[in-house]
Amino acid sequence: MTTQAAVPGSAPGEEELALGTGPIPAGPYYRPEYFELEREAIFRRTWLNIGHVCELPEAGSFIVRQLDFANASILITRGKDDVIRAFHNVCTHRGTQLTQETCGNRSTFTCPYHAWTFGNDGELRAAPDMQRFYVDRKDCGLPKVSVDVCAGLIFVNLDPSPGQSLHEYVGPFVEQWEMLPVARATTFSEYVYEIEANWKLTYDNFQENYHLRFIHPRSGGGGAVGPDNPFGYPVDYGFHGEHRTQTIWTNPAPKLSPAQMLAFGKLVPALMQRGLMNHPYGRAYYALFPNLFMIGTPTQPFVHFVMPISATRSRGVIRIYWVGDDMNASERYGREFSMAMARDVHSEDRAVIEAGQRGLSSGALEHIHLQQQEVLLRHLMYHVDAKVQAYQAERAGGAA
Amino acid sequence: MSQASVLPAGFEALAPFVAFWAADTAAGRAHCRDTADEASRVAFYNAANELVPKALAYLDEKPLEQFDESEKRLMKLVLSFAHVAMAVELQREEEPRHARYRPYMRITRAPADL
Repeated sequence: MTTQAAVPGSAPGEEELALGTGPIPAGPYYRPEYFELEREAIFRRTWLNIGHVCELPEAGSFIVRQLDFANASILITRGKDDVIRAFHNVCTHRGTQLTQETCGNRSTFTCPYHAWTFGNDGELRAAPDMQRFYVDRKDCGLPKVSVDVCAGLIFVNLDPSPGQSLHEYVGPFVEQWEMLPVARATTFSEYVYEIEANWKLTYDNFQENYHLRFIHPRSGGGGAVGPDNPFGYPVDYGFHGEHRTQTIWTNPAPKLSPAQMLAFGKLVPALMQRGLMNHPYGRAYYALFPNLFMIGTPTQPFVHFVMPISATRSRGVIRIYWVGDDMNASERYGREFSMAMARDVHSEDRAVIEAGQRGLSSGALEHIHLQQQEVLLRHLMYHVDAKVQAYQAERAGGAA
Repeated sequence: MSQASVLPAGFEALAPFVAFWAADTAAGRAHCRDTADEASRVAFYNAANELVPKALAYLDEKPLEQFDESEKRLMKLVLSFAHVAMAVELQREEEPRHARYRPYMRITRAPADL
């Protein structure tokens, strides 16, 4: 469902009002006990983006990703049958981490401890002196992790039997995402950050524009805000179950610096040549529950996820996905500039989010207040708390 | 190596900036911006500003994988310009404060690095 606003910042629609207007409890943004519940209720049983198929270009390619909230290391492989599989990076003999590499190409993985050797399909191929064990080799495959791909993005789910398939979960976004550059991406720019802040507080910063004119007056203000829309509010919001969208306002007269004009003047022709400039979702900003953003902007098509580490520590990964290798110097320059520009903006965000965490963690506030144009934050908290409450009820039911 | 052969003909004015600004990776180029003082940033920006469009036009005439060493250096300088222009044109007097924030955003990959 989409709430269409006639002008940016207009009155809220029915679905927004249904989320309520009251203050939001501050505790979930810093209390360890709430984070423990989120870990179980959300992160251990939800599809999470951790990579892209362009990182597994051929049979034997593999990547390893750390999921700190679960103390888990996940091995993702592409087999000779072209199937992408995911496993816990754990030898089934005595639990040793199988590989310390972060990426590469291997058909087998040999445990450094006692040389148990696994195929990239997870099967145990060989173990020295296996006949002395009291278990069958075929029962010693690597522990599987649910994995699937949508629009080129690799998602894992630590629930061995997810309640929904990935495509069911992504739902109405699937068809749109398949039209975005990310679905055809072959490479990417990436920057990562660690932040002393709760994952929701971090994520929330990126789903409201109220702060733009104060935090990004130089790096982003020239295009993101204007006389007709001084806060740069979106032109509409959409609510799709746990997920949400906004349509970014288009500034009719952005103030671009000479270098910005040069860079985008170089990037746009390359994007046009690749047929990437005119897809219908160029102003769409998707928020997939719980921790993923994706933006359709052709010149800066980024994906950003925020992984929790603890109640007050998170890690963000921002990737700008590109289709094809740099075709020439101009495209290379445009891509480098695009990343430098996005990074300038995100650098400013990180500092102010940490300041917010310090304030909340002091316990000085019982509640925080959200305005109408911060409704996406309210929507996230609503669904987080619904999951937490459902989990608590499930646990209480199991204990009864 | 003489300065004349450091960069392709026509771009000799950028030769004094090669040693510091022609970093191999995007992370390295961002680091150049972070660590340069204002005078260095402005001197590079002023020298490169008019030459970057010409450099891109020149470099676009050749596939990237066929660049000789002087052309690779020119490409790296042009890419560094992308970073320094953010400082000179947009951040301006805020650049020293902004430079404190940016290193926390660690660049781990860019197409130009591969």
